[in-house]
Amino acid sequence: MKKECVAMLLAGGQGSRLYALTSHVAKPAVPFGGKYRIIDFPLSNCINSGIDTVGILTQYRPLELNSYVGSGQPWDLDRSDGGVHILPPYQREGEQGTWYKGTANAIYQNIGFLDLYDPEYVVVLSGDHIYKMDYADMLAFHKKCGAACTISVLEVTMEEAKRFGIMNVDENDQVYEFEEKPPQPKSNLASMGIYIFTWSKLRQQLIDDEADPNSSNDFGKNIIPNMLNAGEKLMAYRFHGYWKDVGTISSLWDANMDMLAPRGSGIDLYDTSWPIYARTPIRPPHITGEHAVISHSSVTSGCRVDGRVENSVLFHSVTIEEGAQVDYSIIMPGAVVKAGAKVSYAIVAENVVVEAGAQIGAPPDGSPEWGIAVVAADLTIGGGAVVSPNAMVRENVKGGERV
Amino acid sequence: MKDLHGILFAYRSHTNLGELTRPRNTCSLPFGGRYRLIDFMLSNYVNAGITDVGLIVHQSYQSLLDHVGSGKDWDLSRKHGGLRILPPFGYAEKNYGEYRGNMEALTGVQSYLKNIRQDYVILAWGDIAINLDVSAMFQQHLESGADITVVCSPEHCSSPRSCDYLTLDPDGRVNDLASHPTVVNQELESLEIYVMSKQLLLDMVEYCSAHNIYNFSRGVLQPRIDTLNIRPYVHPGHIARFSSVNDYFDQSVKLIDPKVQADLFNPARPIRTKDQSTPATYYGPNGVSLHSMVADGCYIEGKVENSVLGRGVVVEAGATVSNSVLMQGTVVRAGASLSYVIADKDVQINQDRSLMGHITYPLAIAKGSIV
Repeated sequence: MKKECVAMLLAGGQGSRLYALTSHVAKPAVPFGGKYRIIDFPLSNCINSGIDTVGILTQYRPLELNSYVGSGQPWDLDRSDGGVHILPPYQREGEQGTWYKGTANAIYQNIGFLDLYDPEYVVVLSGDHIYKMDYADMLAFHKKCGAACTISVLEVTMEEAKRFGIMNVDENDQVYEFEEKPPQPKSNLASMGIYIFTWSKLRQQLIDDEADPNSSNDFGKNIIPNMLNAGEKLMAYRFHGYWKDVGTISSLWDANMDMLAPRGSGIDLYDTSWPIYARTPIRPPHITGEHAVISHSSVTSGCRVDGRVENSVLFHSVTIEEGAQVDYSIIMPGAVVKAGAKVSYAIVAENVVVEAGAQIGAPPDGSPEWGIAVVAADLTIGGGAVVSPNAMVRENVKGGERV
Repeated sequence: MKDLHGILFAYRSHTNLGELTRPRNTCSLPFGGRYRLIDFMLSNYVNAGITDVGLIVHQSYQSLLDHVGSGKDWDLSRKHGGLRILPPFGYAEKNYGEYRGNMEALTGVQSYLKNIRQDYVILAWGDIAINLDVSAMFQQHLESGADITVVCSPEHCSSPRSCDYLTLDPDGRVNDLASHPTVVNQELESLEIYVMSKQLLLDMVEYCSAHNIYNFSRGVLQPRIDTLNIRPYVHPGHIARFSSVNDYFDQSVKLIDPKVQADLFNPARPIRTKDQSTPATYYGPNGVSLHSMVADGCYIEGKVENSVLGRGVVVEAGATVSNSVLMQGTVVRAGASLSYVIADKDVQINQDRSLMGHITYPLAIAKGSIV
């Protein structure tokens, strides 16, 4: 059936700057904020905005992501018409078929999928951003302006602007120039990687772009500049509110810490008018022991806490034994921190066992080498071992060892 | 478990539970922070691979319907079979009150029973908290050749006045059943969970309907105890039954024990419940939580001790909650103090209020009250 608007979620990237955290899963499937995975944010935004047809473009390590999305039921995206669709690259008759070469090519390869729903508009989203946004408002703006493409932008400082794709706009917020990471930014409007296209325009652009052998088939590098050159109307849609790209270890850690901020200062997950949905594990409420000390932290179902937890985020089924200490850290599902172990300024991935007396990470000491320590999933950090700040642990650490 | 059909009795409201069952029937009583009592048996059925479940309701089942919905959280929203809610269809002219007994309840849904596509049926009350291995029980039923297998507890876990007790002959067959006695001499307490063939059940329902027999224990099991081969299945794990406010309080606090939690919420047979997409629980800089069980979505800036908190409970800074059970959405304002209190859903305790029950008489506060 025809849909007015279909969302396409780009979830195929490796997320290589998350290193060990994405060695086995795609970036959108990385756990976030105690109860969520990154992809829950764009998916929940879609359903809350009234978009009931979403294509998820997957390529890198898709198994866990596919199983997490499943039928789309947790997001009410299990529909008899529309709903959520996983879209991997596929083979074609008589030729080999290719991997997705770039963001634009990923959509190009799924023109057939979009044609099934014959939409007027297509929303293109990324799978690595944390924010709450009503795409319906953005679509209304797009329609009012009669634009071919509307790009959501965030006002950043001129210094930060050097790290973003920057939109230079006229007095009506119509885009006349796009600059990727300009050394001398002319504007502070940073692209958030959220686009609404009038589908007929985008469809033709994708076909033309594919025909260009020199193109890198990327929205930012090719499609947007091409549309500007072709004289199409591109609008900047100003977004006000919390938005964070969680593509790096430090930004992922920061964004998790932001979830602990008092209500209203960052993203309000307790606001029931815009819920973020997630596939919730079937676990009982968490229990605290006689020695538990928990402050400025979030704790979820299945956890057992009898140690000290400060300024940290515990995902489901985490155990913090008596005498263990966790501060400024993110402890992902199923991890165990045993008695006397100390975890500080670290990200500990799923099912890691931190044996008694081990030490992971340390508070900032002002040195340039300092950073968040990361332990990859399913590893054991032996008793009394020391994992230094900024370490990226991908293999088991023996007892007493220092890495 | 393609050959077993599940029936749940979800129509009774324990009058002894006072305020707690006024707005709902006992099966939809919140328990263990995020659950309703019905979740336990419903999950036990589903975990054994049962795909078709009939839920027999009669009165005040609105909150139950709201909770189970289409059954999708238990994977019981199916094209064939799945969850069926069975109100007293075509039965109203006979009796306007609550069903007098479970045989009468079965008579009320007789046409549904006839269409059951499985050869065996398991019947249970929906208001018991237990993690029962239904597969093992069914296996034992098939191997023992019993007509009826009944789940029993070696320990007495409820008040004699509301329970059945069994005596066995040397061969392990039930030879006496005492229903609601004043004194208990028997070893085994019946949990009133039965497996039998569909044919036997239909014959009994037919007979009881024709003879105005409404109680299963007294009207069927006792008179036929010599002719029916009734055998026990002894459940070794934790069991919570509720016949008073005290029971409810004691059983709630017991869940804080990791051993009880590990048994009742065995990850191999998880207890499912309605998913509400609540965020994580947040503890403020001065929040304290000692020896407590806390569901998701809470916001704790005060002190919580020896307590069970449901989803979305708020404990403001300077408030103290000890030895209490707070259901979903309770708000405890700054400086308030609670001890031995059971607060039903959405209760609000205003600033600096102090409420105190006693370990032998916990204070139950009705749903939605503002103190």
